[in-house]
Amino acid sequence: MNQVILLVTAVSRAVGVIAALMIVLAVAITCQMIFLRYFLNESTVWQTEVVIYLMIGATLLGLPYVQTLKGHVNVDLLPIMLPPKARKMLLVTALAAGAVVLSIMTYYGGEIAHLAFTRNWTSDTVTAVPLWIPYISMPLGFGLFTLQLIADMLELIATPADKIIVEVGGH
Amino acid sequence: MDPLILGLIVAVATIVILFSGVAVASGLLIVSAIFLIIFDGVRSLELMPEVLFGKLDNFALLSIPMFILMGASIASTRAGADLYEALHRWLTKVPGGLVISNLGACGLFAAMSGSSPATCAAIGKMGIPEMRKRNYPDEVATGSIAAGGTLGILIPPSVTMIVYGVATETSIGRLFLAGVIPGLLLVGLFMAWSIYSTWKSGSGDALQAQVYTWREKFEVLPRVVPFLLVIVGVLYALYGGVATPSETAAVGALLCLLLAVVIYRMTNLGQLWTMLRDSTKESVMILFIIGAAGVFSYMLSSLFITQAIAEWIGTLDVNRWVLMLYVNIFLLVAGFFLPPVAVILMAAPVLMPIILGAGFDPYWFAVVLTINMEIGLISPPVGLNLYVINGIAPEIPLKTILKGSLPYVGCMVVAILILCIFPGLATWLPDTLMGTAVK
Repeated sequence: MNQVILLVTAVSRAVGVIAALMIVLAVAITCQMIFLRYFLNESTVWQTEVVIYLMIGATLLGLPYVQTLKGHVNVDLLPIMLPPKARKMLLVTALAAGAVVLSIMTYYGGEIAHLAFTRNWTSDTVTAVPLWIPYISMPLGFGLFTLQLIADMLELIATPADKIIVEVGGH
Repeated sequence: MDPLILGLIVAVATIVILFSGVAVASGLLIVSAIFLIIFDGVRSLELMPEVLFGKLDNFALLSIPMFILMGASIASTRAGADLYEALHRWLTKVPGGLVISNLGACGLFAAMSGSSPATCAAIGKMGIPEMRKRNYPDEVATGSIAAGGTLGILIPPSVTMIVYGVATETSIGRLFLAGVIPGLLLVGLFMAWSIYSTWKSGSGDALQAQVYTWREKFEVLPRVVPFLLVIVGVLYALYGGVATPSETAAVGALLCLLLAVVIYRMTNLGQLWTMLRDSTKESVMILFIIGAAGVFSYMLSSLFITQAIAEWIGTLDVNRWVLMLYVNIFLLVAGFFLPPVAVILMAAPVLMPIILGAGFDPYWFAVVLTINMEIGLISPPVGLNLYVINGIAPEIPLKTILKGSLPYVGCMVVAILILCIFPGLATWLPDTLMGTAVK
């Protein structure tokens, strides 16, 4: 079981690195676009669309990684006030509920990506980006996020109730 | 069921679920899924990922990761400390120069970073120990930095303002400008209080001027001038019509990254990755909340709740200022518990018709809302800046930091009152520079 948790976390991290690089790439492309437009007076065609997809991709693929960093903000007032056992139960339930709703997102996200692929949907711009490429980030990102939530939940279940630390400062 | 009663049930369910410790964004998705299943059937869930994706499919949002990257690259250098040091050496003749330098540095740093905790940490690391060494009371040393840090979300560029602009379809450039004068007003109020309370606590000696030679004054400049140039460059690009906020943010991010590497010699790959990781973490967290809030408001309007509330408010016959008072109380309470971005995204679709209907200016309201969010950042139970200060000055008890911050909350309330009496403080600059807004 521990190895599965470690594996999921490792995959989340790797995908997180990709997400971070996508943001850097988006910065680079945006700067290139401005350079072309204002200094060389050329028109830009594909850049705006690609940087938006890079940002969406980075967000969705970054979800599981941010979960490993405990970076998704929450309001932990109630968990802090509860006695250890109730706190553990509440936190496990919260993770489980998150995993359920994200698996729904994964399923339907996958459905859209699949439809876009089989029906050759493209964006309605000159570039006509095949839409399955940005859409695939939904099942991938949501899916890995679901797995990471489950891994965190299993780890939490294995932790004795009085050893669970809730970090203060939920903003 | 009456959409208004349904709205009340949704509100209660949202509060209960968000308080369970679940991540805010996941919580919004959970609430949305539950109500969509109950009232629209299971098949309505298939739209959830599409709505989320569509919400993020917006060029304006690109400025969020870019400005965060820009702020993070500066925050990972000594720039904050240098800024404060430079101001301190140049403001030698001013009584209370040290605390004024710290607050001024917070204001300037906020102009490069859209984040409150980052501003707090960057200035406080050097500023707090220095103020304590010079016998400033602990309350002033920590409170002033906690409060100064909140300027990060009011003085442009501000992530909070971008999110407001996207949520309410108002001009981000105009919102940024609206925050400038109120930001300076807050800096002034903070400075006045800091000096007064230091003097009152009997530590008046601390306020005495310190002497620096011209050589000392000039040697610190090369380290801050490049960053000041970046601020000027970013502002020029924004308002000189060169680029959109998102494009400006990208150039700002690139320039700040280059400055961090070239001037501050941040060539260590580990350091660079830490910076990149932290900014990715913050961007993903915020963008996920934006996407999830999109799903949440889709659920609200597909159950006709948004429309019903707007209609109900229309029938209310109350004085517009009484209404504003209620809105402020609501924002304040929400800001005590939730991050600013979440409050804006959840409240904007419901509040906007009320605000416009009562004849308030949406840009002025953005400033009032942001100051409310700033109060939440330095108030318990989840005032993030308090914990940031606690992290960089662990020897000062949280209670002292809290006690020190409270008067600054008072300053913010005063600022809101001043803005209510003189709304022009927020609207004059954007109106003058960009022409009167089309309403």
